[in-house]
Amino acid sequence: MDNVVGFILAGGAGKRLSLLTTHRAKPAVPFAGRYRIIDFTLTNCVTSGIGEVYVLSQYISRSLERHVGIGKPWDLDRAAGGLRILHPHLGFQAADWYRGTADAFYQNASVLRALSCRYILILSGDHIYNMDYRAFLDYHVSCGRPVTVAVTEVPPALTRHFGIATLNRSGLITRFDEKPLKSKSALASMGIYIFERDFLLAVLERMKPHHDDLDFGKHVIPGLVGEGKVSAYRFNGYWLDIGTLQSYFETSLALLSPGSRPGLFSGPSAPLTVPDEYPPLAVESGARIEGSMVCSGCLIRGTVIDSILSPGVIVEKDALIERSVVFHDCTIGPGSRVERSILDKDVRVGAGTSIGSGDASIPNSLQPEYLEFGMTLVGRSTRVPAGISIGTNCLVAGSKKSGRMPRRDIPDGGACIAADIDL
Amino acid sequence: MRYFDTRGFGERVKILTMILAGGTDTGLSVLTRHRAKTALPFGGRYRIIDFCLSNCVHSGLHEIYILAQFNPKSLIEHIRMGKPWDLDRKSGGVFILQPRHYGEAASWYLGTADALYQNLDVIRRSGADHVLVLSGDQVYNADYGDMIAFHIAHGKPVTIACKKVRPSEQSRFGMVRCARDGAVREFREKPRRSQFDRASLGIYLFNRRFLVDALARPRRDIVFDILMPRIGAEKVFGFTFDGYWEDIGSIPSYYAASMRLVRYRSLISRRDWPIFTRGDNLPPSIFETGSRVQRSIIADGCRIGGFVSGSIVFPGVTVEPGAVIENSILFSCSKIGAHARIDRAVIDKQVTIGPQAVIGASGVAAPGVESCADMDAELDTGGITVLGKLARVAEGAVVPRGVAIEPGAILT
Repeated sequence: MDNVVGFILAGGAGKRLSLLTTHRAKPAVPFAGRYRIIDFTLTNCVTSGIGEVYVLSQYISRSLERHVGIGKPWDLDRAAGGLRILHPHLGFQAADWYRGTADAFYQNASVLRALSCRYILILSGDHIYNMDYRAFLDYHVSCGRPVTVAVTEVPPALTRHFGIATLNRSGLITRFDEKPLKSKSALASMGIYIFERDFLLAVLERMKPHHDDLDFGKHVIPGLVGEGKVSAYRFNGYWLDIGTLQSYFETSLALLSPGSRPGLFSGPSAPLTVPDEYPPLAVESGARIEGSMVCSGCLIRGTVIDSILSPGVIVEKDALIERSVVFHDCTIGPGSRVERSILDKDVRVGAGTSIGSGDASIPNSLQPEYLEFGMTLVGRSTRVPAGISIGTNCLVAGSKKSGRMPRRDIPDGGACIAADIDL
Repeated sequence: MRYFDTRGFGERVKILTMILAGGTDTGLSVLTRHRAKTALPFGGRYRIIDFCLSNCVHSGLHEIYILAQFNPKSLIEHIRMGKPWDLDRKSGGVFILQPRHYGEAASWYLGTADALYQNLDVIRRSGADHVLVLSGDQVYNADYGDMIAFHIAHGKPVTIACKKVRPSEQSRFGMVRCARDGAVREFREKPRRSQFDRASLGIYLFNRRFLVDALARPRRDIVFDILMPRIGAEKVFGFTFDGYWEDIGSIPSYYAASMRLVRYRSLISRRDWPIFTRGDNLPPSIFETGSRVQRSIIADGCRIGGFVSGSIVFPGVTVEPGAVIENSILFSCSKIGAHARIDRAVIDKQVTIGPQAVIGASGVAAPGVESCADMDAELDTGGITVLGKLARVAEGAVVPRGVAIEPGAILT
């Protein structure tokens, strides 16, 4: 795999993840307790033998940078190759924000040109999957076309969320529809491409004048499909694009049902991540943990059912967490109940508070398009007062400075966002 | 070389740290057949030496030599470049020194002082003002800065750390009597009975010049050959340490320290004093529906289906439904079969316990185990059952209470 360099697109704003991405990039959103979403793609690179990886970052990159660092957990802190983060920068040709996925490459053309590799592997930082890119590259080479797109079959009901490819018998993509309302094919583009490096450079030069916001899915791939230059590689494994709050929540909880655990966490491709320094999980008498994933550093005195707890969560006596995802260092006060909720990092819930139970038929008043499936989201470092009741489909975020929020009940579908949070 | 901030003493002092980690202690029996004592797993995710190293780093000491010789592979693998402790540094850092050919000398470390003697070149060339000598097989949280400040304030050549212990424990330690000003007046090594209430913890701080002079000729033991001859001459002072401190020298002391940790976790749970260790890359632990866990410490990567109480479970352990684990310590990657029962046991790494097997049964003479070659018959485990690494216990087999089974044994 010396001939391939990986590029991970990690610059999108991820607006549809609501409060989870107001202060972090989507690839840095915690997932499955101790991981971040980008861990899965980085691990795939390393287990596939790719030793040179660039991360294209732009939107609130601090959390991502802190997590990825110099790539040590993935053995990407290398003398030659290794991991680098590419931010938008000033310079010849490049002098702007990344306006689209392909534009990010256009602006880093000098980086591409300086590489000695023949193939460019373009990846996305917000997918959850195990994939061996070696098989993908072998297929690309055997096809002999300058571009190969990885595709996977999705349920017909979901085709309208993806770029849908129609293939002929030789694996050539004959038609490519971006988010079609109706489609005969159910093969979705995974947003994962292999390009011949020189071909990519030429295509970017050619297409950029026509599209300021040059995008692979919208412009480059459909254009090249028209020219008959794009092969499709079918991927049959588990693959998920964490696009919406609902898909994030449901994908997370699905990890807990024993039958559907996709084998993501075992074997040679088990994800790698930044090691933590928490002590092991402590369970006290009177605690109950069932059907859950619980990380190091947690202290459980209450009850945890069908939930995922990131490191450092404290569940006090008689507190209950059910069907919820709780991020790092949250504290759930004694006697509180948290149901069908996501608590972002460092949320403190006072005693006797109830979060997340109610009538799921009322969508959120602020973001009805993202939050109408019966879940409550509490933003980072919010101090939830004792004794209040927060319904379902609620968005709650305390002020950035103190985390404080008003001491009042929030009805189903309600929102309570501090003025300094930019949602 | 790292300058140590002496906190208001108006001078900067250089400290060199030597950790003694070479002991061939047999008290841990089957647990140290293939590993150094200091690399013994402890507390759910740590190795014993992590405590000492973390104390050093938290105390601002960054030039550390570990003197090792017994089964060092496990220790070397754990420490490597010292990354988890931020000791992979441009200057200073952590180094493992094993016995080696150097000039005339070519022997094993024959004792604590001999280990220092054989590394005299390191001590001499370090340019340090003081040499802190630690023991790698102890678990405690301590800021060595307090002891260093005491040492500098008194200006004596040697400071030893000591601590009050119960009379019943005195025979395990070197007992000291200190004058009111801290001067050590008497020192008795492992007395059967003693009027002194303070035990020496095996933590010494030497003035470097003094140490180099004292090691002008070969010496074996720090206590007998360096300290004892100087007691009473106002050269040795005692610094009293009053936190929790335990020396892990035997199966009963290992077990007791672990069980204490289940009750009082502060040794590992202080947010201002994290214990650093080599991280594993395991997913969060999974607790299946129907599992029940009480008063326990559980590391990452476990799958718990059964009942766990009063126990410590290391990373990657599987406990099948119906299994009952009580008051036990399970090292990493062991597999406990359905409806197996384990009580008061220490189970080393990668042990397989078959379904319905019973470990630590009282009053059972085990068929096939009694006087078998796989048992450490000399050992008094104090009623704790110990299974060595990679041991396999067949379905329905019974291992009686208090036996120690050698690594790799197969019990049917």
